[in-house]
Amino acid sequence: MERAISRLPRWMKRWEWILVILILVVYAIFSGLQPENYTFPKLLNQTRVYMVDVGFMALGILVVLILGDIDISIGATAALSATVMAVTYNQGDGIPFIAAIALMLLTGAVCGLINGLLITRFPELFPMIITLSTQTLYRGIAYIILKDQSAGRFPGWFSKDLGYGSFSLFGLDVPIMLVCILAVLPVYYIWLHKSASGRRIFAAGTNLTASRYSGVQTGRIKMAAFILNGIMAALGGFFLTSRTGSVKYTLATGYEMQAIAIAVLGGASTSGGRGSVAGLLLALILMTGLKNGLMLVYNDAFILNLSIGLLLILIVLVPDIAGRIRRQNTVRRQRLTLKKT
Amino acid sequence: MPERTRKTGALSALFKQREVGLALILVVLFLLVGLRNPAFTTGSNALFILEDTAIMMILALGMLCVLLVGSIDISIAAIMALSTMTAGIIMKQNLNISEVQVMTDGVMGSVTLRESTPLILLILAGMGVGALCGALNGLLIAYGRVLPIVATLGMQYIIYGLSHTISRGQAVYRKDMPDSFINFSRATFLGLNSKIWFMLAVFVVIFIFLTYFRQGRYLYAVGSNRESAAMSGIKSPRTTLLAHIIMGTLAGLAGLLYASRDTKITQDMAMGYEMYVIASCVIGGVSVSGGRGKAVGVLLGALTMGVINNALTMLRLTGNSEFWKKAIQGALILSAVVINVLIQRSKERRVLKDRRI
Repeated sequence: MERAISRLPRWMKRWEWILVILILVVYAIFSGLQPENYTFPKLLNQTRVYMVDVGFMALGILVVLILGDIDISIGATAALSATVMAVTYNQGDGIPFIAAIALMLLTGAVCGLINGLLITRFPELFPMIITLSTQTLYRGIAYIILKDQSAGRFPGWFSKDLGYGSFSLFGLDVPIMLVCILAVLPVYYIWLHKSASGRRIFAAGTNLTASRYSGVQTGRIKMAAFILNGIMAALGGFFLTSRTGSVKYTLATGYEMQAIAIAVLGGASTSGGRGSVAGLLLALILMTGLKNGLMLVYNDAFILNLSIGLLLILIVLVPDIAGRIRRQNTVRRQRLTLKKT
Repeated sequence: MPERTRKTGALSALFKQREVGLALILVVLFLLVGLRNPAFTTGSNALFILEDTAIMMILALGMLCVLLVGSIDISIAAIMALSTMTAGIIMKQNLNISEVQVMTDGVMGSVTLRESTPLILLILAGMGVGALCGALNGLLIAYGRVLPIVATLGMQYIIYGLSHTISRGQAVYRKDMPDSFINFSRATFLGLNSKIWFMLAVFVVIFIFLTYFRQGRYLYAVGSNRESAAMSGIKSPRTTLLAHIIMGTLAGLAGLLYASRDTKITQDMAMGYEMYVIASCVIGGVSVSGGRGKAVGVLLGALTMGVINNALTMLRLTGNSEFWKKAIQGALILSAVVINVLIQRSKERRVLKDRRI
């Protein structure tokens, strides 16, 4: 059996297959339990809730995780950028919405830049501590700007067409938001997995010192990764706002942990050097199927959290234990052959 | 070599301690705020700050053990919620309210007595659940070799889910609590609040454990170098497990004090508290990569957080300071951490200079 597995081509032994199997299992279970509510078209409609905003944030944090860092300020970054966008559009007279969006992306980039600067200048400090402080800072600034108010006057195409619009394809209603993230994914995949700059990120995450000695500018890569992360967080906030229709300073609270969970489910490791865009997409699909199904059956947010926590731990635990058993078997076989000779 | 031992006085030895630098920052911060608002520097306010941060200090002392072995626990707020909810359900079910006639100053009056399970059992239940959660974290991290952040992130989801499931969505309010539990965080002894006494007790135990006990020294050994600790016969998984059990137990105790102070137990109690606890450890000079940190430093770090918090309320920088408080808090935590790092760097540079390298 083991020999048969080891003979398989490499692409068939990838982590992503486990996710595919899990997706099929989840789909089978819930469509068995709720045959009339848990259908593919309805799931497709729900993707706007579970896949898009958190997906953008997960794409951003994926790069940071591959570098072996962590950023827990992305929820706050999303809140601050969306606040800036809403306030400039609502209060500035005649400012075009596109300018507000540009300002939002800029805010995200600046938030990421501050994180990156602090993290590269103070390597003694754990990124978690730095981004914890900036998290309070960013959300605090959003609080100062908005107070307890919520800002929610947007152009129609933003809150209606983007937030709730869909178009039909082969008789299915595909949300426009979903298309946005699906369009970004291939670009991201090619950049991260196929281009030289993407591979450099993996190199820096696997061994920072070794890659610095081989001429990779690790400091600059880290800065770029955090800026990109900030921009992706701002985009996440943008899509979240278009779905909810208004901005409060509490926007996207707790999304950082969700995004990290998605990236880790997709095969990323918080110790760096591992992660994949394809796995991330599959993790997003799995989460959509699971969350939607659990909400239909239990209608309880906490049961949902419980299952996600279990899934997160099991999915990290199981491959490790399997690997350990495999290693033990190899050692035993080697000992046997040694005894024979 | 006489050059090397230029300054050997007790004072200079004192100043080489990292904690002294932090204490100086704290004093300066204290005095600066006192300039703006003299009420800040009074003894009663100092005592109030200490009382207010005692819960944070208990948690930070537990977090110190976990950080020392190179692990981290971001599920402590969830552990607080679950263990307190367990105790809350027990006290709610056994609550017995009775009217008792008592003679006061020659007048008969009735007093409502609210009795339930003895307080000591409630505390044991809460700390026991906390220890169990901590043990589960420790097992996952030490024996399952799941990365600490991922393991405790997952456990955070699970524990919050459990606390919601056992409470069936019901919170426990003051009307469900016996007098003994309400007084748990309000009683005073020798003029000091019980929270301060609990904190001092935990501090003394953790301090002695980390300084004089073999198992305590193992925590440092495992955190500084896991391989060489294993080579010297230290069972590093067992040590990691122990650290997490200590953390869980203390989280249970802190949760009970927290609930008694607020006279309310909800499923998402203390959400986000873990980050402040980790931050106060880092301000207190604990290294997140393990092996470095002292109990005294952690207390000072938590106290710094408490002073920042209290100062922001006392200063009233703008008309409504609540709006500014959040933003300034983040900036202050960051600057405290950065100043600490800069002090450390300059000290290391001075050490190099002293050695003439």
